[in-house]
Amino acid sequence: MRLLERLWGKNPYRKSDKKKKGTSNYAYAVTRVRAMKSKLLPKETYPRLLNMGIDEITRFIQESEYKNDVDELAMKYSGGDLAEHALNRNLALTYDKLLRITSGELNYLITAYLRRYDIWNVKTLLRGKIYNASVEDILESLISAGEFTYTFLSELAAKATYQEVIDTLKETDYYPLLQEFDGTNLAYIENELDKMYYSSLFAAIGKPRSKDRKLFARFIKLEVDVKNLSNLFRLKKAGVEKSDDIMPLMIEGGLELKPEKLASLPYEQFIDELRKTQYWDAISSVAGLETASLTIVESRLIRYYLESATTYSHVSPISIVPIMDYIIHKNNEVSNLRIIFRGKEASLDDTLIKDQLVVI
Amino acid sequence: MVGEELVGGPFLDADGMKALGAALAITVTGLASAWAEKEIGTAAIGAMAENEGLFGKGLILTVIPETIVIFGLVVALLINSA
Repeated sequence: MRLLERLWGKNPYRKSDKKKKGTSNYAYAVTRVRAMKSKLLPKETYPRLLNMGIDEITRFIQESEYKNDVDELAMKYSGGDLAEHALNRNLALTYDKLLRITSGELNYLITAYLRRYDIWNVKTLLRGKIYNASVEDILESLISAGEFTYTFLSELAAKATYQEVIDTLKETDYYPLLQEFDGTNLAYIENELDKMYYSSLFAAIGKPRSKDRKLFARFIKLEVDVKNLSNLFRLKKAGVEKSDDIMPLMIEGGLELKPEKLASLPYEQFIDELRKTQYWDAISSVAGLETASLTIVESRLIRYYLESATTYSHVSPISIVPIMDYIIHKNNEVSNLRIIFRGKEASLDDTLIKDQLVVI
Repeated sequence: MVGEELVGGPFLDADGMKALGAALAITVTGLASAWAEKEIGTAAIGAMAENEGLFGKGLILTVIPETIVIFGLVVALLINSA
């Protein structure tokens, strides 16, 4: 009898806890996401796209996975704007779909991850309001993939000043930080928002006990490393070598890099130190002393990040990793297409556009 | 032998034991293949939701664990006929 009591619940919370958490149904979510990943544009597409004009690219996109989005928005916008809106809309809908097809822990972790788009939107809104961008221009850059809905974001975009935007965000977690914003310290606020995102993400993961959370934590740490590393490259190139200047810009919680150690080193020693890390193989051919272009280093790093996500998704096939892998690959595809569009619009040289693309 | 006092006793004779063994063989394999098919079935549905062309492959993969219960059935029949 005591055994039965223990099983069925002297503790009234036990059952409800379990119910709330739910199961994650990995088999379904992961295969569906893998099928979605197979529909991403193959790498052979990009050279072809580079040879096309803007209208041709729009037509190409209209015939691909972005068809519905282009069709729906074609009445309102045209040219590059149409593509930009369609891409953003598609990204938001795709991520929304991921949230719909997952449940339990998987859903919880993805929701936490996608809050980055809330941060992105808040940043865009503040920037737009400071530089007096038109509502249309701001709307163009908003991606409603996080917790804020598109309607709410449009309302925010229609506000007259940044102060009103901040006041409307009173109920959110970002408000205490946003209060510090006085119209001049945008860079500081943006950095702090990013840091806040990562610390809240690590808080959401908690002390990783389940296999999923461990993999997810590792994944995020790798991303933090890649971000820190590209920032370090930029800073070192610009000749910033004081640890006090660099450390406030670094995100805590990386996997392998130790920013506090790397920050004070001059460029050559910094490179020597990097040789010991797993990132060296990815950037060794371009990170020599005489390299001029940071974009190539950065795109190599992003490529390394994407590739290692794919490798991990093969190592742990029934876990959160294939889904994260899809999320970042989709994001990469959208940003590639955006680069091509904007590059073509500004009539940049094809090689210049090509350097910016991260093609896997 | 363990259970010797049961065999030939008032509760269970040799035929009863055989019947129980056969029942076990079919029950356990039935549950096992159900569990396996559940996993594969949900995965197949997930893939099909994105790409309808995978229906054929999904169907075949889903029924492959059915072999487990067929083996169970064969064993059950063998036990019964022995």
